[in-house]
Amino acid sequence: MSLFWIVIRQLAEIEAMAMSKKVITREEWEKKLNDVKIRKEDMNKLVMNFLVTEGYVDAAEKFRMESGTEPDIDLATITDRMAVKKAVQCGNVEDAIEKVNDLNPEILDTNPQLFFHLQQQRLIELIRNGKVEEALEFAQEELAPRGEENQSFLEELERTVALLAFEDVSNCPVGDLLDISQRLKTASEVNAAILTSQSHEKDPKLPSLLKMLLWAQNQLDEKAAYPRINDLATATLEDPAI
Amino acid sequence: MPTTTASAVCTTVGNNILLRLTSGERDVKLKALRELKNQIIGNRTKKLSFLKLGAVPAVAGILSDAVSAVDVADNDENDRIVKDIIVQSAAVLGSFACGFEAGVRAVLDAGADILIQRGCLVEEMPLLKSYMEVVDAGARSLKMIYQSKMAPKYDFLQEENMEFLLSLLNNESENVSGLGASIISHSCKTSLEQKLLFDAGVLKRLTSLLGGSLIQRDASLESIATIFKNNPEVVSQFVGPDTGRTLSCIIEIVKDRFARTRLLASLCLIVIRNASPCYLQDVGIKTKLINNLLELLDDPGRVGDEASFAFSSLIAEKEDMQKLAFEVNGVDKLYNHLQKGSLHPRRFEGILLALADMCSKLECCRSRCLSLQVLKLVVDALAHDSSDVRSAACMCLRSVSRSIKFIQNLSAGSFMNETIVIPLVRLLDDTSTAVQVAALGAISNIVVDFTTRRSTFIRLGGVKLLVQLSKSMDSTIRLNALRALRNLIFLAEDKCKEEIFMELTASLLASLICDPEPSVQEQALALVRNLVDGRINSVEYIFAEDGIILDAVGRQLRIASKAEIEIQGMYVLGNVATGKESHKEAVMDQLLLRAENKAQSCIIKFLQSNDSRLRTAAVWAVLNLTCSSSPGSSGRLVKLHDAGIVSHVKNMVNDPCLDVKLRVKTALEQFNSFDDSLASTSCLQFLTVRAVGELSHVVDPSSKIPCDSISNSCYVYVTDFCVIYSHVANSINSQCL
Repeated sequence: MSLFWIVIRQLAEIEAMAMSKKVITREEWEKKLNDVKIRKEDMNKLVMNFLVTEGYVDAAEKFRMESGTEPDIDLATITDRMAVKKAVQCGNVEDAIEKVNDLNPEILDTNPQLFFHLQQQRLIELIRNGKVEEALEFAQEELAPRGEENQSFLEELERTVALLAFEDVSNCPVGDLLDISQRLKTASEVNAAILTSQSHEKDPKLPSLLKMLLWAQNQLDEKAAYPRINDLATATLEDPAI
Repeated sequence: MPTTTASAVCTTVGNNILLRLTSGERDVKLKALRELKNQIIGNRTKKLSFLKLGAVPAVAGILSDAVSAVDVADNDENDRIVKDIIVQSAAVLGSFACGFEAGVRAVLDAGADILIQRGCLVEEMPLLKSYMEVVDAGARSLKMIYQSKMAPKYDFLQEENMEFLLSLLNNESENVSGLGASIISHSCKTSLEQKLLFDAGVLKRLTSLLGGSLIQRDASLESIATIFKNNPEVVSQFVGPDTGRTLSCIIEIVKDRFARTRLLASLCLIVIRNASPCYLQDVGIKTKLINNLLELLDDPGRVGDEASFAFSSLIAEKEDMQKLAFEVNGVDKLYNHLQKGSLHPRRFEGILLALADMCSKLECCRSRCLSLQVLKLVVDALAHDSSDVRSAACMCLRSVSRSIKFIQNLSAGSFMNETIVIPLVRLLDDTSTAVQVAALGAISNIVVDFTTRRSTFIRLGGVKLLVQLSKSMDSTIRLNALRALRNLIFLAEDKCKEEIFMELTASLLASLICDPEPSVQEQALALVRNLVDGRINSVEYIFAEDGIILDAVGRQLRIASKAEIEIQGMYVLGNVATGKESHKEAVMDQLLLRAENKAQSCIIKFLQSNDSRLRTAAVWAVLNLTCSSSPGSSGRLVKLHDAGIVSHVKNMVNDPCLDVKLRVKTALEQFNSFDDSLASTSCLQFLTVRAVGELSHVVDPSSKIPCDSISNSCYVYVTDFCVIYSHVANSINSQCL
C-alpha cells in the first residue's frame, strides 16, 4: 500500500514536466519512487480508519494493541453499530430497528427514507418466508401510511408490493428485491446513518485514495508512458509500452 | 374492508400496550414502554393513533413516578430499572414531539417538558457516570420539544434560568450542549435577550463548540446567528481579539463537507453582515457567499429549499450584491432550477423571491430574465395551489416589469398583455390578503402604458375590482389598490379617465383623501393629481358633486403633518390652477382659508419647509396662479401679497435647491411683469406650467432625478422603467438664464 502513496507524490511532480508524451523507464520510475517518504503513522491511521468505519471491531482492537494506533471513535460504539448491521444482514429487521432506537432514538425519527427502507426490508423478509397474510397486513398497516406521508416513496412501495402478486417470486420482474444484495444495501444505509449521527464520516478514506490514484494515472496517461499499476489488488508495476 | 382491519389491529395492539403501561410491575411497564417507543419512532400514523388513545399523559405519569422513586445516591439493581424507565419514557415523549405538532401540544399539555427537565437534568446527575444515559435521554427529548414553534418561551431574564442555560452549554455531552444551543435559537427574540446572552459570555462557549462534533457545530451556528440577528449594537460589541478568530472560523466552515452546515455557516455570516456594515465587506467573502448559496440550491432536500431564502436575505436591497450575483450567472442558475418542474412549494417560493430580489434594481438582471423566458414560468406560478407561491410570483412579476424591455413588449402585442393581465386580475379576488397585495403591486407596474392601451385591463373589469379593493377594511389593500389606480390613470386618455372616475365617484375619492391612514391619504391625493392633469377639462373632475374633492384636498392640506401628503396636495392645487379663471379662483379660496388658530395660510409653512420637494410644489402653485396670460392674475397677485405669500417667495431667491431656485426666479419675473408693461406676449403664451402627474414607483419614490438640461426646463423624472415629462415654456429659459 505504500506504493500508492508513492505514486501519487510522484505524479504530482511529473505534472510540472513537458507536454509531449515522455517515456519513463522502469528504472527511472522506481528510483523516483524510492525517494518519496511516507510516514508509518499515516498508514496506520488509514488502516485503523478503514477497520473502524467498516466495523471490524476485533480487528481494530487487535490492531490498536499491536500498532499503538488510537481509533478516532470509541470502539464500544462500533460494537453497537455492528450489531445493527449484522441484524439487517441476517434479515432480522425488527431486531435491528430496536437496536437503532436504543442507540439513538433520533435517527429513525429524522430519517424518513431510511425508516421506509427498513420497513420495506421487513416486508421483503416476510414474503421470503412465505408469510403472505402477515405480509399483506404489514403492507397495509405499516408501509401504506409511509407512502401517504411521503409521495416520493410511492414508486418503491409499488415495486415491493408487486412481489405479493407473483407466485414464483424469485423469477418475477421485481425479484431483485429478494437478493441478498438488497439486504446489504439496507444494512449499509443504516450504518451510514449511525455514523453520521455520531459525527463520523460514513466512508473510509482508503477507497478515496485509490480513486485518486486511478484518476492521477489517467491524467498522466495523456502526457507520458510509464510503469502503471493496473491491478489495485496486487499493486504491481507494469512496464510501459514502448 | 382493509383499512378497518388495519386500524382495528392497531387499536388492539395499542390498547394492549397501554394496558401493560398501567401495570404495577416495573418489568412489565418497562417492556411496554420499549414496545411503544419502537412502534412510534419514525411512524407518524402510529403517533397519531397512540395520541388518541391517551398515551402521552400515561407516559408522563410514569415518568413522574419514576423520577420521584429515584434515589440519586443509590445504585442497586432496583434503581437500574427505575433509571431505564426514565430513559425510555423520556425517549417516548421526545419521539412524540419530533416534527409532529399534535404530539408537541400533547407533550406540553402533560407538562412533560418540565418533568423531563427536573427529572433528567438536575445538577447531581451528571456527576454520576451511570446517569449519563438519563441525562442524554432527557436532553435529546427536550431538544426535540424546543425545535418546535410551539415550545414554551424560555425566560432568559430570570437569573436561575440563565444559570441553568449556561450549565447546559458548558456540559461535555453533545446532546446537553446541543440542547442549550437549541433553547437559544428557539427562544431568543428581543434585542434585550440578545444583549443578556451576549453579556453572559455565551459566545465564547459557542465559538468553542464550533470546533466540536457535527451536531455541536450546527447547533452553535444557529445560536450565534440568533444572537446577532438585526442587532447592530451586539455585533459592534463583538470587537476584540476573539472576533477575528470566530469570524475566520465560521468562514472556514462555509466550505464544510455537510451541506446543512455550509448553509448554517452562510446564514450566520449573512446575519452578521446585515447587522453591521463594517464586517465581511470585501469582495472575496461576498463572492464566496454568493457562490456557496447558488451551489447549495443543487441540494435536493430541505437545505436546497432554504438556500434560496438565504440568498434573498444576502442580496435584498443591496445593489452591489445583486451585481456580483449577476456576474456569476445567478439569474441563469436560478432559472435552471425553476425549469426543473414539480418543485416543492417552499423551493418554488424561494426561487421566485430570489429572482424578484435579483431584478429589483438592475436592468441587466431583468433583461436577462426576459431573454430566458422566465415570465412564462412565473405566470404559471400565478395559479399555483400554494398562496405563498402565488404571492412570490407576483413579486417576481413586479420586479421584472420595471424593465423598459418589458414595457416595450407589453405595448407591442396584446398576447403578452392577456397572458399576464388575466391571471393577475383573477388574483385581485384571491382568498389570501397577502396575495391580493402582491398582485396589486404587480398590477401597479403593468398598467403603466404609454400607448394608452390599458384597454385589456379595463376590459377585464380591472377598474371595478381596484375600486372595490380601495374600499377594503385592510389599509394595506386600500393603499396598494390606490397606487394601481394612480398609475392606471397616469396620462390616460379622456375616455379612460372618465370611465375610471365614474367607477370611483367623487364621494369615494373625497373620503379616501380623508382616510385614517396617512399613506392612503397620500395615494389618494396623488391619484387626484394625475386625474386633473392633462387637458383643461380634466380639472373639472375636482369640482364634481359641489367640489367635495377640492374641499377635502384643502382640508387635508391645512391639517396634515406629513410632507408626502402636503406635496401631493400642493401639486393637486397647482394643477387645478392651470385651468380657467374660476378654477384659479377656487384654488385661491382654498389657499387663503386659514386653519383654526393659524395666523397664516398653510402655503407659507410649505414655502419654509426643509423638504425641497414641498417648497417646489408650493412655488409651482404660486406660479400657476399668477401667470401673466390670465386676466385675473394681477388681482390674485394682490391677494397673495396681502397674505404675505409674495414676500416669502421673494425671500427664496437663493434657495439651495436648483428646482426651487428656478421656479422662484420665474415667479419673480412674473411678479415684476405686472409692474412693467408686458414685454413680449408671444413668449408668455407658454407660461402656464403644469406640474404633471406622477408615477408611483412601487418601491422607491425617491428615484426621481431632475434632468440635467434645466436649460430646457424639462424635468425628466426617471423611475427605472418609465419617463414622466412636463412641458414648460421654452421662452422662459431664454429670459431666465
